[in-house]
Amino acid sequence: MAFEPNPDRPRIDARDKVLGKALFAADREVPGLLHAMTVPAAIAKGAIEAIDAAAAARVPGVVRVFTWRDFADIRETPATRGGGGEVPGYQPMKRPAIRHRGEPVALVVAETLEAAIEGAEAVRIRYRASDFTGWHDRPGAEREPVQTDRSAGDAPRALAAAARSIDVTYDHPQQHHNPIEMISTTAAFVDGKIVVMEGTQNAAAFKFGLAGMLGQDPAMLEASSPYVGGGFGQKNQLQEQTALVVRAAMLLKRPVKLVMPRSQLFHTATYRPFSRHRMRIGASEAGKLEAVLYDVEQQNSRFDQYASAHGEHVSRMYATPNWRSTNHRVRIDVQSPAQQRAPHEHPSSYATECAYDELAYALGIDPLELRLRNDGAIDPISGKPFTSRRLAECLTRGAKRFGWDRRTHEPRSMRSKDGQLIGLGVAAGAYKASMAPAVARLRVAADGSSYLAVTGQEIGQGMRSAVAAELIDVLAIDPDRLEIAMGETAAAPQHLTAGSWGAASAAPAARAAALQLRERLVELVGAERANGPAHEVLARARRPFLEVEVSHRGLDQPEAVMDRLNRGLPAPAGPDYERFTAFSWIAHFAEVHVEPTTCRIRVPRVVSVCDCGRVLNHRTAISQVRGGVVWAFGAALREIGEVDPRFGRVLNNDLADYVLPVNADIGDIDVELLDEPDINLNISGAKGVGEVAMVGATAAIVNAVHHATGKRIRHLPIRIEDLL
Amino acid sequence: MRQLTYVRAETIDEAIAAHGRAGAQARYIAGGTTLYDLMKLGIEQPAHLIDIADIQGSERIDTNGDRLFFGAGARMADVAEDRVVRRDYPVLAESLAKAASQQLRNMASVGGNLLQRTRCPYFRNGAGGVYPCNKREPGTGCAAIGGLDRGQAVLGISESCTAVSPGDWPVALTALDAEILLSGPAGPRSVPVADFYLLPGGTPHLEFAIRPGEIVTGIAVPKTDAGRRSTYHKIRDRETYAFALASAAIALSMDGDRVRRAHVALGGVATRPWRARETEALLEGQRLTRERALAAGRAAFAGARPGTHNGFKVELGARTIADAVMIAAERNA
Repeated sequence: MAFEPNPDRPRIDARDKVLGKALFAADREVPGLLHAMTVPAAIAKGAIEAIDAAAAARVPGVVRVFTWRDFADIRETPATRGGGGEVPGYQPMKRPAIRHRGEPVALVVAETLEAAIEGAEAVRIRYRASDFTGWHDRPGAEREPVQTDRSAGDAPRALAAAARSIDVTYDHPQQHHNPIEMISTTAAFVDGKIVVMEGTQNAAAFKFGLAGMLGQDPAMLEASSPYVGGGFGQKNQLQEQTALVVRAAMLLKRPVKLVMPRSQLFHTATYRPFSRHRMRIGASEAGKLEAVLYDVEQQNSRFDQYASAHGEHVSRMYATPNWRSTNHRVRIDVQSPAQQRAPHEHPSSYATECAYDELAYALGIDPLELRLRNDGAIDPISGKPFTSRRLAECLTRGAKRFGWDRRTHEPRSMRSKDGQLIGLGVAAGAYKASMAPAVARLRVAADGSSYLAVTGQEIGQGMRSAVAAELIDVLAIDPDRLEIAMGETAAAPQHLTAGSWGAASAAPAARAAALQLRERLVELVGAERANGPAHEVLARARRPFLEVEVSHRGLDQPEAVMDRLNRGLPAPAGPDYERFTAFSWIAHFAEVHVEPTTCRIRVPRVVSVCDCGRVLNHRTAISQVRGGVVWAFGAALREIGEVDPRFGRVLNNDLADYVLPVNADIGDIDVELLDEPDINLNISGAKGVGEVAMVGATAAIVNAVHHATGKRIRHLPIRIEDLL
Repeated sequence: MRQLTYVRAETIDEAIAAHGRAGAQARYIAGGTTLYDLMKLGIEQPAHLIDIADIQGSERIDTNGDRLFFGAGARMADVAEDRVVRRDYPVLAESLAKAASQQLRNMASVGGNLLQRTRCPYFRNGAGGVYPCNKREPGTGCAAIGGLDRGQAVLGISESCTAVSPGDWPVALTALDAEILLSGPAGPRSVPVADFYLLPGGTPHLEFAIRPGEIVTGIAVPKTDAGRRSTYHKIRDRETYAFALASAAIALSMDGDRVRRAHVALGGVATRPWRARETEALLEGQRLTRERALAAGRAAFAGARPGTHNGFKVELGARTIADAVMIAAERNA
């Protein structure tokens, strides 16, 4: 299959977004809407002894104050947040108990937002507080058994036999997504159905999972999430308030909206948990990797099934004949963590890529050279070939763009004219190339308009632009007259969009639909007359429109997987396929400048070269990489959720004190996409880019800080006090 | 919705009279950037708001005569961009330009800025009873002591409170010996900025030497040739939109290559805008070198009492002073 590179095209929804026409969940107008506000628990663990809602109920405009007694019949199922597999999750307000600080303990519904807020502030709760564990190193932390997640060869023996070895431990802090679109739930009634409008990556969960929790027929529920203002994993699932708001609307028989305030989101929404990473590496004097032992512990809530799975990608990065990675979770009394952009891949790449940098210095080998010496075409865990792996090309092209050859190896050996310490760092990353089943319903009309309903969520990553590219490529349709329904359970079956499988699932479905429609045109008018823009062919044939529907499955997926899709269950495949292992790959190069006196760290330049398969839309893909690098900068030098273990609570719970990067922090981010189709993976040649973008970039910055200063800082973020 | 009354005053006298009528639950409001924030946090719960943003002439900036005058209602952005202030008193312009964000500076007044309250997270975050705070609820204790105290003060602390005075502009004004002009039920008066900010001691809820019903009407800064050799150097957790970890307001009068007079004040490290007299004394009469500036900077922290996570502020503060002194000295008088 030969592809012409896609030309530069604007985001298909750019104009609507600039004009404010793309409506996000909480902005949609619903007649007769009531407003809700939660009362957050003021203790970290314990019981509710009494709730006095009298004053709240007297607030003018308050319609009703809901307590746990109203929600006791909500069912906890695996779809409930914090569940997983067959294990039910935890739903607050089902019982008079508190399991984490800030969980909702009352829900006040009122005619106005102001009344709801005032009502919520007027609810008085008497608690009976219990002892709790607020951090992993405190008494009462429950350490689960260690689990091996990946192994090959005999790593302990090979480590003991290796000529050189290092043993280092890196800590990664708790982080919070802080999307600009706040998490909200609106439950409305349309044509006898409950319609849930919530910014989500997983509309299917709001139809099927929510139906299970509420004891409803899924046919009575629809979810609508056409746009999402920042998902990054925090919107993968039902939120703590979702079932409460929908049940409240059902009980009141009126639509209800809740926008969770940001300060509460730090306790009710998911986040990236603290993790500790021990890396033991054995290598030959020449820098060939012989053994890696990689052990991770990750903080978790008492009740959450969020896995610790840090070995998945780092075990395939380099030709490591002997590998063993283990995970274990440490349970404490906090809210549930879950996926945050490159959920395990970012922390694990940070720890391992910094450790490889340490190894390079222990051996006196250039850190770029160390990586190139350990490149491999075969997945060391499965023994299978990769569908595509151009990591070495990413590294060598990146080195050239970046000017790696001007680098001198010794730490503290480079200075700017104004006396700043210069550091140049490199690191690499990978992220699994997964795919999920998808359905595409395509209608092209002779009047020039087109309509596509497809499985997939537009979460700002540009998936509408990606699927549009396939329709334009095959059918030459007019993008200005193309309507794309995404994140609508009423339009097409929906599936969680996460794990960087979105475009590689939806684009092949869209391409398959377009190819089928082209075949139908050939049947209609003959091969010679079927070329050119599809709507013109239809017009010439005097056919008002053509419609096709295709179901597309990921590589090696059986037909039965469509049943999971139709029941709203996650059904991704990869990175381990029957004949292949599949990953996207990236190399990052970072230049840091450190002030010698007050030790401020600046990152004037990052170069990132990515092998993400065929590029469907250059602007959205490059934007994903830039965004990933900004996230990685934030992780390296800015972000930390500060938890005071005496209170079990995030102290810096707003955008002023949770220090995210600002524009003035960000220098030049130079991105190159190799744009080589991965034809082994799917008919679009697409692999994911949104997550791999971030993987390894933090390590590149941390390694550059070491090169500049000679200091190995093994925690994040690196701040002034670490270098003074 | 919590009910409150709102009146707009057109003169100072009208405002003071309205405050007198409204009583203890009244607050003046100008730009609103602090008061609304504290109201949302539940820390301020006024029953009456008296809007002083439209008082005629309150935004006046006058740089003629022997002192600079800034009407309390002048916007931070306008003072920061004033041509004379930028040229002759960069310490003042920089202290404003490095504060908050452009949007906030466009709203916030230089008078209201004097009364900004601490960013101590235990103070801001605890309404509702989670964290004890002597400043918010006198006598309840201090959660910051023994807690996450990376941002807390190392100078001027007490057993009751270690909260940092958050401002930048008040630090620059402190360095330049400004006077705060006030008007109240008993008439107008002025207070040296050095007396305007109170140490926490056993009463951390008392922060300003301002009497009930009094209103800040203006700020007067005596003119000095040290203004041209001045800077406000601010070290923080990101390049912009962050409060200082350590900052230094420096203004130098020079005799050739010797310091005749040094004005040094610190932010981000103390419970009030902190005049560093020890630093000034070590600089005056001396030829400037980086080593001398650093030693003078360290002297400011001789009495520092760091907690668990904020010990770095002692060295950072000293280096911030040293850098600021060298930046100021290189400026053309």
